[in-house]
Amino acid sequence: MLSFNIQLYSVLKSKLHASSIELKTHQGITVKEFLDLACEQYPVMAPYRSVMRLAVNHEYAQDSRALQDGDETAIITPVSGG
Amino acid sequence: MAETVQTRWVQLSEDPIDIAAAYCFLQGSAVGGISMFVGTTREWTDGQQTLSLTYESYESMAQKEMHKLLDLAEDQWPIQQACLLHRLGKVPIKEASVLVGVATAHRADAFGACRFLIDTLKIQVPIWKQEERSDGRHWIQGSKLPENPTP
Repeated sequence: MLSFNIQLYSVLKSKLHASSIELKTHQGITVKEFLDLACEQYPVMAPYRSVMRLAVNHEYAQDSRALQDGDETAIITPVSGG
Repeated sequence: MAETVQTRWVQLSEDPIDIAAAYCFLQGSAVGGISMFVGTTREWTDGQQTLSLTYESYESMAQKEMHKLLDLAEDQWPIQQACLLHRLGKVPIKEASVLVGVATAHRADAFGACRFLIDTLKIQVPIWKQEERSDGRHWIQGSKLPENPTP
């Protein structure tokens, strides 16, 4: 098993009252599976599933990318800078 | 040895944006036009009052994304100097929250690149604003998802 620390921002940080969450999973899980699992374990995030992107090591990641031990992850909802 | 000229300025800071400093940075002897867009914090939106805005960022990623936008802009337009400055934390009404500046030899390129940079920044760069209104604090969600990289 691997343990990931997922950084949260904006609306998700407010909804979960936390700036990061832990997710335990297996080596090689894809980005899509990872986000699905995160929403399953933290159901308060589920309404935002369709507008989530996962950033891996500071880059937007493809759904099919496999996560590796030590990857830095963050969930990005639609941004509103400017 | 040739003098090294800084051609980019990318900044995320809680300090007020120094517009004069940006203009000075963009000036140059090969520059024939400077286009600057300054985004400011709006008090009234569709009749609803905003008391203040607070900006939050995933800073390490935001810096990288801002450099990527400049890479893309430099591929499309002959840019001499460019700056992308974004303010974070609490920003009072009417103040500058973002500044995009582009210096080129001719104005069409400056306008084109400046427009591209602000439009793309608002979709790609992980910065979020929270509006404080009389009825509470509200996170603003953008209308578009960031583009994923091409496989």
